Amino acid sequence: MGKMERFSFVALVAGILFFLFADFISWALPMFVMKDIPKKSVADLAAEAISKNTSAWSDFNKLYRYYPEQFKKFCEYEDMYSGSGKIEEAECKPNEKTFAKALKVGHRWYVAEGCWNCHSQMVRPVSNETLRFGIPGVSNTVSYPSEFNNELQAPVLWGTKRVGQDLIREAAVHNVGWHVAHLYNPQSTSPGSVMPPYPWYFEKDSKGNIVPNARGLALLTYIMWLGSWEVKPPESFRMEAKQ
Amino acid sequence: MAGNQDLQNLVNYGLVKAHVAMGLIFFIIVGLMGFLYSLQLDGIYPFLGIEFLSPGRVRMIHTAGAAYGFLVNMFTGLLYWAVPRFTGYRILSDALGWFMFIALQAAVLITVVSILFFGMADNVEWGETPWWLDPIIVFWLLLHLMQFGAPLFKASQRGPLYVTGWYVSAMLVWTPLVVFMGNLIPRFWSVGSGAGAVQSTFIHDLVGLYVTPVAWGLMYYFVPVIMKKPMWSHGLSLLGFWGLAFFYPMNGVHHFLWSPIPMFAQYSAVFATVAVEFAVTSVLINFMMTLRGSAEQLKYNVPLRYMYTGAIFYWITCFQCAFHVTLTFQKVIHFTDWVTGHAHLIMFGTFGLWVLGMAEYVWPRLFGKETMYSKGLSEGAYWLLMIGVLAMFFDLTAAGLVQGFDWIGLNPWIDSVNFSKPFWYFRSIAGIMMLTGLFMYALNFYKTATAKAGLSAELREA
Ligand code: HEC
Ligand code: HEM
Repeated sequence: MGKMERFSFVALVAGILFFLFADFISWALPMFVMKDIPKKSVADLAAEAISKNTSAWSDFNKLYRYYPEQFKKFCEYEDMYSGSGKIEEAECKPNEKTFAKALKVGHRWYVAEGCWNCHSQMVRPVSNETLRFGIPGVSNTVSYPSEFNNELQAPVLWGTKRVGQDLIREAAVHNVGWHVAHLYNPQSTSPGSVMPPYPWYFEKDSKGNIVPNARGLALLTYIMWLGSWEVKPPESFRMEAKQ
Repeated sequence: MAGNQDLQNLVNYGLVKAHVAMGLIFFIIVGLMGFLYSLQLDGIYPFLGIEFLSPGRVRMIHTAGAAYGFLVNMFTGLLYWAVPRFTGYRILSDALGWFMFIALQAAVLITVVSILFFGMADNVEWGETPWWLDPIIVFWLLLHLMQFGAPLFKASQRGPLYVTGWYVSAMLVWTPLVVFMGNLIPRFWSVGSGAGAVQSTFIHDLVGLYVTPVAWGLMYYFVPVIMKKPMWSHGLSLLGFWGLAFFYPMNGVHHFLWSPIPMFAQYSAVFATVAVEFAVTSVLINFMMTLRGSAEQLKYNVPLRYMYTGAIFYWITCFQCAFHVTLTFQKVIHFTDWVTGHAHLIMFGTFGLWVLGMAEYVWPRLFGKETMYSKGLSEGAYWLLMIGVLAMFFDLTAAGLVQGFDWIGLNPWIDSVNFSKPFWYFRSIAGIMMLTGLFMYALNFYKTATAKAGLSAELREA
């Protein structure tokens, strides 16, 4: 028994051996099981959204049309922490490069504002969550591993607390205008909301209107991108098209 | 028996004082940040529209500050007191100690500035520190391993270590591994569900493999010292330690049940969590049996009372955990305020009260006084803190049930927000109680440190 109570025994057996064993079961093995799921970079995600012409891509185009001045500023915006650089004027329109940058910068500020402390990004297969989050028949599936296997989910954004809704099926829920108004002042669209307003994602344009600024465009793109890969044309729409 | 002079040479009083004082200051700051954030949920946040005081950022200071500012400072300070005393050897180096002290405060300060002003944060709960700071924290923890590992290693050359020594030895090895794993692997070596599994292990291991073993280790030191008698059963001490060491690290994935993490990992976490309850119960039985015959001390001895109150809260939390870890309970309570109530009962109710009790025992002795400045402040703080945290716990538990069932019922989301508001107001009131308690406690500390004459034990009975 005496040996069990020595520094080296405790440090080796409890400190290292048990720890490694637990890590093997808790995450090394799960990681191994999921190793064949391809890991996507942000550029892959942008390319995919464009090639599939998802709702996120059309929303990004809308932002470009609604706020051309701010879009230019967004191209010039530099951000060390997420590793996003300037984009040349010639390329400053909705394309793979700008879209990828918007996702990266948007994600960075989503994390920095602690949005993830009030919003989860995981639809569980229980508690009617597939009915609640997203739009029935359009974007209401349960969360599955491969949709998280990308650079924007490292570390993963599942979250542990919901004050507001889950956002992983947000894409089809609201339109651009709603999100702009909501981010500027949540009370304006949702009376009684306890979500804080985020006026620093907005500025005054040349006509004196309040419009999203460079960071704001990126954040909005990111929110409207969440779940866009799951948005399908409504079933009724498809049936009518067939007839 | 070593004389006072020997003990002074053994323990570096300056380091204990500095760490405990900073820990107390951060405790108050962390509480203020939590209170500030709770005002947002009450709809009366005073600093809306100021970017760097946005509630989301303040909340990250609350959690990261609790981990690094409050707990690490407090525990390190108390270890500087306890480890040399029960091993009989000095820490590795006093100069290293002061370097580590300054480095720790600098790390916390850098974290606060980068999160509030530069929006540099990581979405790892408890590990919101920007990623470039994490390797530095791991390095700090390696120094911490050498600093306290040295006396432990020397002492175990002579013979078996006391219980505290096992807990502290294991913790010294675990903590750098945990921080490295939790902050760097999910960012650089894995993504998605794999990262989620690592992060959940981190959320849990920082509690289970840093906070819990240091705290229990210190309890095994302070409780017998205060009561002047040995622990009831050495066998139970062994059982508790090895049970904890084996099962606790496997608990992590229970934070993400019903998630896309493979089910075998989820089931093993549920199983290990229930197993931990047995280990915890064995530890608790040991402490309760040690109290037998000395329970009247709880009436007069505030530090001891803090410790036993915390121990009972610990058992309540773990008992609660055995239920809500099941997949059935998870359907309702996950993502709700139930979890927040649980987090505060363990972090504030148990570990908070424990370190306050230990610090209140150590503090007058550090200044050569026999007792704290004011018995009234000391008692008042205890009752406010204890009742406050209990009120917060019951309130948030109830709120969690309301939210959980409301969400299942598919009512409009804003209903659940509106239904929660009365509970959130009440939480803020409980927060005011807790903060008042903390201020009284801190005032007592200040007065004790600065009191001119030596406070004598008679004063306390008066
Ligand atoms: C204090 C908690 C809190 C924080 C922090 C917070 N939110 Fe919210 N959010 C809410 C609540 C509550 C609602 C529901 C009421 C409403 O619509 O405003 C909500 C709703 C939303 C919605 C609408 C969801 C839907 O399906 O209707 C979006 C989008 C959103 N938040 C985005 C964000 C973003 C982006 C951030 C970070 C910049 C953020 N939230 C930070 C609490 C929060
Ligand atoms: C005056 C005392 C305190 C008050 C008023 C307070 C308040 C809060 C609030 C409002 C939250 C956010 C909950 C949410 O997301 O809805 C929170 C979270 C948290 N606090 Fe505190 N807090 C206090 C003290 C502490 C202390 C001392 C600790 C740790 C030692 C602590 C640890 C935590 C943790 C771990 C969380 C995250 C919980 C979760 O994810 O659900 N708190 N606190």
